[in-house]
Amino acid sequence: MSVIGECLVAFIFGSVVGLLVQRSRFCNTAALRDAILFKTYRNTKALLVAMMILTIGFTTFITLGDGNPMHFDVGLNQVVGLFLFGIGMVLAGACTVSTWVKTGEGNIGALWALVFTFIGMFLFSLLWSYNYWPPAPASMTGEPNLEALQLGYSNAATLQEKYGIPAIVFGIGQTLVLLAIYRAILRKERKTGTA
Amino acid sequence: MEFFRKTLDPVIALSVIAVLDIFMFLIVGAWTVGGGETMMTGLAAQAVLGDDLQRIPFWSLVFEPDPSYWKIYISLGMLFGAFVGAVLSKEFYLRYPRHLSEWILITIGGLLMGFGIRLAFVCNVSTFFGLTPEMNLGGYLAISGIIAGAWVGSMIYKRILEG
Repeated sequence: MSVIGECLVAFIFGSVVGLLVQRSRFCNTAALRDAILFKTYRNTKALLVAMMILTIGFTTFITLGDGNPMHFDVGLNQVVGLFLFGIGMVLAGACTVSTWVKTGEGNIGALWALVFTFIGMFLFSLLWSYNYWPPAPASMTGEPNLEALQLGYSNAATLQEKYGIPAIVFGIGQTLVLLAIYRAILRKERKTGTA
Repeated sequence: MEFFRKTLDPVIALSVIAVLDIFMFLIVGAWTVGGGETMMTGLAAQAVLGDDLQRIPFWSLVFEPDPSYWKIYISLGMLFGAFVGAVLSKEFYLRYPRHLSEWILITIGGLLMGFGIRLAFVCNVSTFFGLTPEMNLGGYLAISGIIAGAWVGSMIYKRILEG
């Protein structure tokens, strides 16, 4: 696909997402924060349903050798980075999606969060240019590199390749775990009468 | 139109988004926001700093500013879609944080989000709607981090709420 085609597809997808998120008031921050603080799960349930559909969809196509999975080494930086992100999103009251969506609704606070997200990224670029960690994509090998606190690359495709079991089998397993969490939430809601 | 009068069930909204995300996965790659935001940061920095940006290796070794990077247009699309939805449902109006403490929290939160995304190479969207459904090890690492972070953030938030 041409570069313009890719950008157009991305814009159309983003527009539909923006519209649906705006109309549904879905918020990823609320999916975690409300479950932790208020024991309400409106957004958490939606997140889990989406993850179940995606797991089945992605692993089906991975089984067939199709799709464009993300490809980079992972390690401690994912844990620490998303830990900082998790604190930040609760304090800001918005995640990456809701900052854009709320800005589209005229929320100046969300625009402010977006500007400082960019500034945070720029500050990180300065730090990275000093310590070069985590490793740049060009130097990633896919193998564990414990010196750099990297565990390498693995996903449903590598599992399929390594064990000769279709990726969809692992996908079904993950979906069942997500379903069990979803059902536990429903049970809890019935018990507390908040469904 | 009913769609613009009532709040949509988030389960329905997210189910539709998930199906569309599967098509995205097949065409270019799964839904992500952090990568596009980083590229926008690079382009903004290039506009301000010009050739001096070359003195920061991150912007040549990790993210070379490129306006044709498709992930940028997901974010711009979300902004556009939300604006259209808000206008058609008569929910668009300018609103500002009322207290200085809110501005401070948003500032700190924004900085932590930006820094965290780049440190992790992923944002919350890639974590929940890309990496984890692909069963990438990074997804599980990121989920453990974001849940712990959201818990700490919630405790801070609770303390602030309680005064």
